[in-house]
Amino acid sequence: MQSQKGAKSVANGVPVNLEGLGKEYGHFTALKSLNLTVPAGTSLGFLGPNGAGKSTTIKIMTNLIRPSRGHATLFGIDVRQEPTRALAHIGAVIETPEFYGYLSPLETLAYAGRLRGMSSKEIEHRSEAVLKEVKLNEWADHRIQEFSKGMKQRVAIAQALLHEPELLVLDEPTSGLDPRGMAEVRDVIKALKGEGRTIFMSSHLLGEVQEVCDDVALLNHGELLIHGSVRDLSRGSDTSTFQTSFLRPPTPQDLEALAAVPGIVEIKNEGDSTIDLRISGGEEGQARVLEAMVSRGLKVITYRPLGSSLEQLYLDRIQESDRL
Amino acid sequence: MTPSPLAQVITVASYEIRKYIRGRRLLGILILVGLILALFIGLPPALSIPYASTPNAFVSTFATFTGLLVVLSGVLFAADALVSEHEKRTGYFLFPNPVRREVLVLGKIAASLIVSAAVISLYYGGAALAALAITHSLTWDVGLSYVYALAYMLAVVGVAYLVSATFKSTVAATVLTFFLFTLIFSIVGAILPAAKIDPWFIPTSASGIITNVLGRAEVRPGPGGGASVGFVPDPATSLLVFLAYAIVGGVLAILWFRRRELSS
Repeated sequence: MQSQKGAKSVANGVPVNLEGLGKEYGHFTALKSLNLTVPAGTSLGFLGPNGAGKSTTIKIMTNLIRPSRGHATLFGIDVRQEPTRALAHIGAVIETPEFYGYLSPLETLAYAGRLRGMSSKEIEHRSEAVLKEVKLNEWADHRIQEFSKGMKQRVAIAQALLHEPELLVLDEPTSGLDPRGMAEVRDVIKALKGEGRTIFMSSHLLGEVQEVCDDVALLNHGELLIHGSVRDLSRGSDTSTFQTSFLRPPTPQDLEALAAVPGIVEIKNEGDSTIDLRISGGEEGQARVLEAMVSRGLKVITYRPLGSSLEQLYLDRIQESDRL
Repeated sequence: MTPSPLAQVITVASYEIRKYIRGRRLLGILILVGLILALFIGLPPALSIPYASTPNAFVSTFATFTGLLVVLSGVLFAADALVSEHEKRTGYFLFPNPVRREVLVLGKIAASLIVSAAVISLYYGGAALAALAITHSLTWDVGLSYVYALAYMLAVVGVAYLVSATFKSTVAATVLTFFLFTLIFSIVGAILPAAKIDPWFIPTSASGIITNVLGRAEVRPGPGGGASVGFVPDPATSLLVFLAYAIVGGVLAILWFRRRELSS
């Protein structure tokens, strides 16, 4: 298999190494000076709000745009200087690509495979496998012009997997898919991760990143805010929001008393009997607040975290970065 | 192993040709070729007009439309070849592959030339067969006119690719290429002699050699080509002019396309 041979030749290079990467569009700075390394076998979730610089980074990595400064190297090969070599070992899905409507998925995969130097036999064998993987095998011979956005996204994922790349660069891979399709794509990515492939995936969906990725990098206004393992960052978040429902609505005096409990950062009244409590101090703080409510005689029906701690960390850091 | 650039050029060209074969454009232009041939062959007897008695005179009637056919081929099979990768977002599929942009341009140019040449060959083939059937003879001049038409096609395709590499909209690139060769160049070529400048460097004026070789030196400005009255293009110079437009257009298209970013 071509990609396996290739894997040997690039085994010594780090899959992704971004050094001082910056990009300006006129007076607008899309990316300031990004330094990021993704070791082999890691799956990195690249997070950030719209306009944070995620797609700009991915486009530089795949040679769609030039950096204003800095370098992007894939497996030790500079993308600008040797794009053909650098891109030989990656599979990419960027935004929602369009395909040639006059071709079928099989023909599209054959086109990509031939450009990559795969033999007809390899193309045939791998096309069948990847189309089955993305559940498009029954549409293999239909022209893509008949396809919905979600089906095109599946073709995009299929072509990225065709040559069994060592590195997968995925820009919003579940965009345009229905919930079932999203789950299927996540399973495909998890399976690839299990095979030890390196994954660089941008997403808006924190749950998706938590489910699929080992590491996370958070970007805002073209700057890297956080980079670390999902587990550490989830643990490291100090505050979290808990939705609390009571049997009877709490009185203003109850709320006043709660506000004085150490660890409660903010109270939002969400309805007669429901409040959102923003609590600091990790699990200790959460236990303390629950105890305080019970000891005041409030009858708590539910006490559940709103979103993940990673989500809270994400929101905290983005808000902090927006204020600066 | 990534294949050689030549192998990639062939791959790109083969898929581009497939696009033209499956699309309606090729069918449309083939219908047009059939219609023109049918009108030239069918109308004279229907109107009781005798056919030209010599093959050169007979084919020259067809050759007056060659310029337009060449321009239409360039417009339909070249003008949107590069710009569409950006506008229709197919570049997001194609560009992250290990293939250089110049390879993509060369493959596309090869496909445009092959399809355009096929259309022109069909037209000249039909005209030559009709000349053979009606006048019972053919001359080398007909072949020479065909070669000149192919040379003119190189120039049109070169310019069309340059326009395609620089514009952001397929419609704008297509319209500009069409009007460049049917109006703008023709107008410039018609006005220059008034300033005592021979328009030898204007491709539409130089394309007069396509009909002149068949014995029609009184070239008229018209759709898709023809020089102004009074200017008779020299074949050797005109061929060099076509070549220059083809090479300069193609090279600039490659350079521009290489620099162009896919950021929309």
